[in-house]
Amino acid sequence: MTQWKAYKNEIIAGVALLLLLIAFIYKQGKVSGQTDTSANTELQELKEVISLKKIWGDKKITKKVDKLKTIVSPSKVKWRKKSKKLTASFSSLNNQELNRVMVKIMNLAVEIQRLEVKKLGASYQVEFKCKW
Amino acid sequence: MENTKELILIHSQMKHISSVPSEGINIMLTPQFYTIKREPLPVKYAYQAKRIAPSLFDGLLEDMENHKYFVFKEENTWLFIAYDTEKIKTFLQRKGIEIAQVSKIFFVEQVADRFTAPMLLGEQDALVNINDTMTIVPQMALNPDEKPIQINVNFTPKKGVAFEGKGKSMVSTNEAYTLAAIFALFAIIYFVEGSRYGGESEAQTLEMQTLLENHTSLQSSYARRSISDKYKAIDKKERKKRDVIKALSHMIFKGSTLTTLLVDDKKFQAQFACKDTITAKKLKELAKKEKFNTTKIANSNDVKIEGTL
Repeated sequence: MTQWKAYKNEIIAGVALLLLLIAFIYKQGKVSGQTDTSANTELQELKEVISLKKIWGDKKITKKVDKLKTIVSPSKVKWRKKSKKLTASFSSLNNQELNRVMVKIMNLAVEIQRLEVKKLGASYQVEFKCKW
Repeated sequence: MENTKELILIHSQMKHISSVPSEGINIMLTPQFYTIKREPLPVKYAYQAKRIAPSLFDGLLEDMENHKYFVFKEENTWLFIAYDTEKIKTFLQRKGIEIAQVSKIFFVEQVADRFTAPMLLGEQDALVNINDTMTIVPQMALNPDEKPIQINVNFTPKKGVAFEGKGKSMVSTNEAYTLAAIFALFAIIYFVEGSRYGGESEAQTLEMQTLLENHTSLQSSYARRSISDKYKAIDKKERKKRDVIKALSHMIFKGSTLTTLLVDDKKFQAQFACKDTITAKKLKELAKKEKFNTTKIANSNDVKIEGTL
């Protein structure tokens, strides 16, 4: 019993050093787990796919597209929608109406196949073809 | 527990110790092994008094380097005890006591009030309390009617000192505790950091599981890649179209009017009517910043801007 007491100081420092090493190994283990790039990348990719799917695979997009028809007077709109394709023509639009139509088109998550704007005198004509 | 160990009085005439209890012993030094000094210092704590101890004994001790100091408060004064550790160690070893076997060192001065009668030291000397100072006197000077007392474990004071490193240790107690504190501090830091990283890693795994449970169609990595490729291509192309339209819309300003715009899957074209050459020049500069191709329409200030997608 007295033998270990002779080395009490070394034992105290040694135990603390051992504890430090264990803590360091523990931390390194957790850090390497954290920087496991494959798992991290997989999660980021998954989030990206979900985000893209949410935008470009939006199931409510048809309803959102239909709202485009209502933002100007019906007399100025020619609307032809078939399945997931739309051909729309807007005529005699003033500046404000043109802005509204363009902002709406820009915010729709559809594939723009053709967008044509023509100034005819003081008014504008818009031809819009898209699919989703 | 330390204070219940066998207490051995250390004096120059003591006999050789043949066996020491396995749990170790405490020793009590007689004045033969230390020098005392009483000073009425205006300090409150023992550690403050201990700091000035070496200066008090300056010139009194032969070998200052080997001396350690023990200080305790008396009624109106501080009692300073200087003891030579090397001398004590050598003496103890000569008497059969290994340094490692000594738990605590005490001084008879600490229990002076217990010496109501003399204590015999061998055959010639005795230890007596004279005016609160422990003194060694010849036994022949003692009053024959006084019955000598014996040292026992009840003489053990509360506070004592220990041999630093007990002779074999390479690290002093202070150094050991300092090192241990530093190591423990770093260990705590590492544990906290580790647990934080671990928490993040677990949260990441949990998040992955939750996302996959909510999006069953994405559980296969092949399906994920296929869907990703499809939507990435659409996203890239459609964002480009919208960026171009947005850039062209910024080119509509006072004096510059959009007359035509065409955007399809592969290209874009826009024509602006400008009121004068300055406006046309400004428009061309704006288009150049966006890296669009510009063409000035002949015989007018109109500018045609085009590019590929």
